[in-house]
Amino acid sequence: MMSIRTLHWVMAGTLALLAACGQTQDTDQTSADGDASSGPQTVTLYSTRHYDSDKRIYEAFEAETGIEVLAREAGAAQLLETMRAEGDASPADVIIAADAGTLWRFKEAGLTQPIVSDALEAAIPANLQDAENHWMGLSKRHRIIAYDPERLTADQVDEMIKLADPALDGEICVRSSSNVYNLSLMGELIERLGSDAAAEWAESVVSNMARDPSGGDTDQIRAVAAGACSAAIVNHYYWIRLATSGSEADREVAASTALSFASAGAGTHTNVTAAGIAANAPNLDGATAFLEFLASPEGQAMLVTETKEFPVIEGVPLPEGLETLPEIIESDLDLSRLGANQVEAQQIYDRAGWP
Amino acid sequence: MTPALSNRTSGALLQVPLVLAVLVLAAPLLAAMLTGLLAGGTDTWRHIAETGLFTYSWTTIVMLVLTGALILAGALPAAWLVTMYEFPGRKALEWLLILPLAAPAYVIAIAYADLFGVAGPLQSALRDATGWSARDYWAPDIRSLPGLCLILAGALYPYVYLAARAAFTTTSLCAIDAARTLGAAPFSVFSKVAIPGARPAIVAGLSLALMEAAADYGAANYLGVQTLTVGVFRAWSSFGDASAAARLAVLLLGLAVFLQWLERANRGAAGSEATSKRWQQIQRKRLSAPAGWGAAAFCTTLFAWGFALPVLRLSWIAMETSAPVASLADALVNSLALAAVGAAIAFLCGLSVALGARRQTRLSRISRVVAAGGYAVPGAVLALGGLIVLSWLGLGLTGYVALAVLIWIYVCRFTAAGAEPMQAALARAPRSMDHAARSLSGSPLRRIWKIDLPIARSGALVSALILFVEVLKELPATLMLRPTGWDTLAVRAYAYASDERVAEATLPCLLITLAGLVPVILLSWRLSKARPGDTR
Repeated sequence: MMSIRTLHWVMAGTLALLAACGQTQDTDQTSADGDASSGPQTVTLYSTRHYDSDKRIYEAFEAETGIEVLAREAGAAQLLETMRAEGDASPADVIIAADAGTLWRFKEAGLTQPIVSDALEAAIPANLQDAENHWMGLSKRHRIIAYDPERLTADQVDEMIKLADPALDGEICVRSSSNVYNLSLMGELIERLGSDAAAEWAESVVSNMARDPSGGDTDQIRAVAAGACSAAIVNHYYWIRLATSGSEADREVAASTALSFASAGAGTHTNVTAAGIAANAPNLDGATAFLEFLASPEGQAMLVTETKEFPVIEGVPLPEGLETLPEIIESDLDLSRLGANQVEAQQIYDRAGWP
Repeated sequence: MTPALSNRTSGALLQVPLVLAVLVLAAPLLAAMLTGLLAGGTDTWRHIAETGLFTYSWTTIVMLVLTGALILAGALPAAWLVTMYEFPGRKALEWLLILPLAAPAYVIAIAYADLFGVAGPLQSALRDATGWSARDYWAPDIRSLPGLCLILAGALYPYVYLAARAAFTTTSLCAIDAARTLGAAPFSVFSKVAIPGARPAIVAGLSLALMEAAADYGAANYLGVQTLTVGVFRAWSSFGDASAAARLAVLLLGLAVFLQWLERANRGAAGSEATSKRWQQIQRKRLSAPAGWGAAAFCTTLFAWGFALPVLRLSWIAMETSAPVASLADALVNSLALAAVGAAIAFLCGLSVALGARRQTRLSRISRVVAAGGYAVPGAVLALGGLIVLSWLGLGLTGYVALAVLIWIYVCRFTAAGAEPMQAALARAPRSMDHAARSLSGSPLRRIWKIDLPIARSGALVSALILFVEVLKELPATLMLRPTGWDTLAVRAYAYASDERVAEATLPCLLITLAGLVPVILLSWRLSKARPGDTR
């Protein structure tokens, strides 16, 4: 049993510890203030993207503006809790996420602020911007169907809803439903078909699955090439990366599969890598300048070279591999709906038994 | 000051590190659990309870039972063979068998998913050779619950191997000798004498391995198996409901309490203390040629499955694609620095818990449960708890505070793994030693200094190295809490793997394994030189 004396010791020790922690934070803040006024300027980026090419973007931005970019990369949900915990003291200036739905969450949590920039307003198509300008789309991607042309005809997979056809029993490969790409796709289907029909679609796809979902999109394409299934729901760039890979086996995988830019109701499902400015951004001007740089022809080209996404402004050369794709009729859905529907999307998948 | 008073004071003083350890360990865990429980039945929680909860729980239970059985089936015979018999390659295998400690389970999962996958080299070769399509034949699916169990068992068996080996060479040895002299058959010596004698140590090692298995997210998620921990992350990322995630994690805490109970129930078992203080050289029996090669094949298979095969496959992928990877030097330095500091502090906490366990007070029991809780709960949930505590204190997660919190979470997460080997060493020492010291009126402090610490020392090296390697491999808490510029190797590997660039991910994965290999080899070398309890 603990004696009273011990308890006092413990309390004194704890208090001393707390005092020490408080001290640390005070000095921290002083030095941060000092940085802002005198030292070199920095922009702190919270990102769910993880590309080596992004580091070259930061370097190019620093060369042009003298502003250094500090990046913290993590998963979206965890990044959000981290920012919440940091509160007013958060060093974050810019938030970049590989999904519009994620930025919607940050906006809902009050962690973003409206972006004020005529240049961005003019450069980025209106449907790729948040209605209140809390985020802007910087590059586009499509969720499509990769299929085995020897087993299926193009018109069997030219619409997402056709994956529900009982004729495709045992033919479909797709990843887990908790992946944000699948959640966003369902987000659009809920808008286009209504919740009930979207739920029926999910149930039919589950019964058409060739195997339990696992792995990523690339694994599904490989499975189609290997003959384990005939159709896979994937993002376009995973196929492009295989098609332009340094490995011959990868290129063969791409060569033996075909792509269908299947309509998700009104055009191919489109999503964006999007960026917002943190509500408490310490360097608001730097943050805006960084976003403007990302939307410039130079920034756009660097943003998509490695990812194989599509640039959002005209006149930027396409990354290698994208030029082979046909004309795409893009969905014009208000991308905020993807975020708003995310919870319902997961609920629908869960009820349908889509792991 | 009378001796009695001095005794009481020093006894109270002894409690201070333990109380501190409990406070440090409990805060993030309790913060997360309280948040989860107090949030009440949110819509997310109701939905999970209706749809996923049964699957998550059932899958987790089956996963633990199967993984546990596989670990025992591999680790116990291997430990027994390398301890008691002489056979080809025994010396090398004795330490090679520890190496899987250095490789994170999620890395092994990536390697095996590729190796045995439908598009992997084996099945591709089969199709090329036969002209079949993937539908024309049946192949076992590594992306499945049994696949996950096999992979986790391969990655985690060293916990039981180390514990069993240490126990066989100390506590059971005299009884084993007696049984052999009395002409008992080799198998009944193993099953009737050695295993019961080593049971407390084996159960302790197994419960560590199973807690780690329960907290695994990377491997289970990659293989598409719906465990509770995968459910925790789904609640968090798909529903954006951190409190529902924490509430699910309470179930994992329950598992830790259960395993602690199991361990305690076994600790009192017969033969847990060394019955003789006599130093004995093990007389290894030379196995006949067929039996010897059989033993070598068994141990080699275990080592190959847990380490050699997946690491070779990853190296192959890395060479084949020669994908350009940005410099990993900074990440390596960060990893080593965090692992060193994190392991050092967790070691002190672990030592306090282990020494406290010798006294069997209520406080020491609480400290063990709290430490086990941290080990059974996913790192991200603990990190969430750390963030909650931070917001209570009114502190922001910036700069040094962030680093301190990260180290703190490492300590909460891994103290149990560090405490166990020292606790086992202490548990093996006969009670009579303690009673003798007490009767010689040594103060508790002196007793610890003169008796407990030297005994614990034999487990200290294992503790320190396990902690170092664990922190080195840690991903989710590091991902959440590290300040900008503190990317570790695990973070870099995750960055590539999460974007499906397996080839690029292999290099940081291999570097983690390599960095972990150095201390593990050091440990193996030390263990093969000295027997626990050695007085050198």
